[in-house]
Amino acid sequence: MARRALFCVGLLLLLLAVLFPLYWVVVTSFKTTRDAFAIPPVWLFSPTLDNYRTVFANRGFLSAFANSFIISILSSALAVAIGSIAAYGLAQQPAELRRSKEKFILSLRIAPALLFVIPMYYLATRIGALNKHWLLIAAYAFVNVPFAISLLITFFDDIPKELRDAARVDGAREFRVFWHVYLPAARGGIVATLILCVLFTWNEFFVALVLTGRDTQTLPVSITSFLTFQGIQWGALTAAATLIMLPMIVLGVLVQGQIVRGMTLGSVKG
Amino acid sequence: MSTVATASDPTRHFFQPVIVCLTVASVALTLFVIWISLHDLSLMRAGREKFVGLDNYIRFLGDPRAMAALWRTVLFTTLATVIEIALGLAVVLFLDRNFAMKRLVRTLLLVPIIMTPVVVGLTWRFLFDSATGMANYLLSLVGIAQVDWLGSPRIALFAVLIADIWQWTPFVILLVMAALESAPTDPLNAARVDGAREWQVTWYVLLPMLRRALAIVALIRAIDSIKAFDLFYIMTRGGPALSTETLNYYGYIVAFTNFDISYSLAIAIILTIFTNVALLTMYSVLFPKTGDR
Repeated sequence: MARRALFCVGLLLLLLAVLFPLYWVVVTSFKTTRDAFAIPPVWLFSPTLDNYRTVFANRGFLSAFANSFIISILSSALAVAIGSIAAYGLAQQPAELRRSKEKFILSLRIAPALLFVIPMYYLATRIGALNKHWLLIAAYAFVNVPFAISLLITFFDDIPKELRDAARVDGAREFRVFWHVYLPAARGGIVATLILCVLFTWNEFFVALVLTGRDTQTLPVSITSFLTFQGIQWGALTAAATLIMLPMIVLGVLVQGQIVRGMTLGSVKG
Repeated sequence: MSTVATASDPTRHFFQPVIVCLTVASVALTLFVIWISLHDLSLMRAGREKFVGLDNYIRFLGDPRAMAALWRTVLFTTLATVIEIALGLAVVLFLDRNFAMKRLVRTLLLVPIIMTPVVVGLTWRFLFDSATGMANYLLSLVGIAQVDWLGSPRIALFAVLIADIWQWTPFVILLVMAALESAPTDPLNAARVDGAREWQVTWYVLLPMLRRALAIVALIRAIDSIKAFDLFYIMTRGGPALSTETLNYYGYIVAFTNFDISYSLAIAIILTIFTNVALLTMYSVLFPKTGDR
């Protein structure tokens, strides 16, 4: 019995440590400035939506929301479209060839982002593309394609080979097999890959910091504008932070089974 | 693997264009990056660069700020990786039993992982605020004097480290937990039947089974910590007094504050080489027997 109580206390502490920072930010976003900075902290207070009003009155934030939305959806769709075709091809290859291609794909991810962001920035300034949405869509598609390939291969592998062989016997060309057999069969995996790409793109900061201009700023870049020299507007900042992460937490819970799988591939595979 | 690919296998056309594009893009990019790093290209006077040979690399060796940043990167990466693995493993062993809310706990552990890193940085900056932050309030409850978390050059790096640990230990937990659940239970029971004590079972039977998962997650965390940027940018901007400037961050400053993109790319190349050497070393330590286990 004592052991059981100890376990419960430990579990509670763990969850507290994991969730408290998040809770505190969300709660602060509903506080008035006075409540937000009260010491000792105020646990019970009358909530206000003032901070959200401030955020929604901020033109920059709204356009950043639109930018983040467009850029992450389009670049992820592009990456999954290209990635699924390549993954289908690779999934049919003998293990050896596959391994070497997969290794190459994964090696692309070890290099620091500086290495490809600086040349891209330099070229973009020369051709005047620095304030264009397509630049970011292309940059993120480039980053997401290798990831999409490696994750999609694992889903295509789950499809029994007999399905493909049966379709081939019936005389179907490869593309028909891909389109009518593999894509429907791997639907769940494709959606999960798409969601993970959206999640990464939405959360990504470094590439966006360098490659976005005034009109293409994404949310993570835009939120830094609340860190002004006059001081930090914590109220508006916590409200903005809540708005940024909420959609991702919802998406993340939807694909929770795939996240660890995806993130493992995201860096290296054993 | 029943399908045998032949040279005329049409499935090749599915991946070859993409692989070729990626190869061409990365080779072109690499050559371009090397070319830039051998010149003195500045964004302030583009078009008037000249060849300088290895000057940028030699400059790196004599640059105390870069050396300090390199050392800080090593320190941060080592601490983050070791602490996250140790803490994560401890939690996994602690949670290794059946209880009612296990699925829920698993879902909740995902939250830090999928949180936008910029928001994580802001959150911890908020908690670490020296006057009104929660961290100092909690310390004051137990009678410890206020700490200037982000304002003191001796502490700021550790404050960022805490935020990194908060965000990524759950990742270690979930990955190792998955490995633990797919591990066979027979050896554990056999050891128990043979009279081994619980800590012996854990140390001699369970941990060796988890070795592969731990090694992989250690590699992942090491790669990501070397490249860490967001938390540093949001929480400290490399300060105070450069005390949290990692090499990756310094490379960014050189490129976009000093506009010296040639030197910045030289730093990025050195960082890449350094990362690869570190990973290969880690890999050979973690997978000593020809890598397959």
